[in-house]
Amino acid sequence: MADRDLIGHEYPSYSFPVEYGKVREFALAVKDEDPVHHDVEAARAAGYPHLPVPPTFSAVTSHWAVRGGLDVLGLDLRRVLAGGAEWEYLGDIVVGDVLTVRSRIADVLSKQGGRGPMTLVVTEHTFVNQRQETVLRLRSTVIELGER
Amino acid sequence: MNERQVSECPVPPAPARRVGPLTRTDFVRYAGAGGDFNPIHHDETFARAAGYPSVFGHGLLTAGVLGGYAAAWLGRRNLRGLSVRYVDQVWPGDVLVLGGEVLASEAVADGTEVRVSLTVHSEARGRDPRLVLSGGATATYPASGGERA
Repeated sequence: MADRDLIGHEYPSYSFPVEYGKVREFALAVKDEDPVHHDVEAARAAGYPHLPVPPTFSAVTSHWAVRGGLDVLGLDLRRVLAGGAEWEYLGDIVVGDVLTVRSRIADVLSKQGGRGPMTLVVTEHTFVNQRQETVLRLRSTVIELGER
Repeated sequence: MNERQVSECPVPPAPARRVGPLTRTDFVRYAGAGGDFNPIHHDETFARAAGYPSVFGHGLLTAGVLGGYAAAWLGRRNLRGLSVRYVDQVWPGDVLVLGGEVLASEAVADGTEVRVSLTVHSEARGRDPRLVLSGGATATYPASGGERA
């Protein structure tokens, strides 16, 4: 069970490349039919140097985040639910970019829900590209339900 | 809602979009694409032991489908913010029904800022539609109209 001592905890930062195949794969998985996410010519015609990423592409960081990062929360996967997320778009992200991600625990809250007590953990992520431009901010909330 | 402001709104009414029915294969494909391998989304035995009737879709799968819908409706390059709150599970066989509504359209320094609400309902044979996600988005439009260059 996560507790309030974790507020302010910073995860190790990491960098990852925005890859052609991954952008196409992700767009297919979320059934995003905009051709700019699939076809380089369509992306160039729309004014991008290569495929731009779909709006929720930040999810792929699960493949890159430093292993064991979430362990600090000690969450029990059987009782974990996604609560929600907020994306703030500050600049284009396209194939070929290299993003550096910094993440910190912004809040840990205890609440009484329909299924009993729950803990909400809010994490803030900042994405900076290879030109040191902050292109994306993300706040995500994970819920851990109480023991049954 | 302010009628005068909405009448000057640079975005059309939200289009109708239905996606699905979603399958377990869609959940597995999303797990691979996104990298979230919590077994509750693909391992029936694990999901049942945790008290669920079956596996269910990742919240971020529903959010991802909604993100594409919002970008298509509001203009990919106009989108400034997207927020989602997961309300209920998406089960295998569910059809996602996407919708939105303009909440406000306001003049800002160099154009117009539009705020919308977004919803995803799940429909399945023999069940009433359920709200599974509620959210919102913000988009900005330059004074000259249309998408920014």
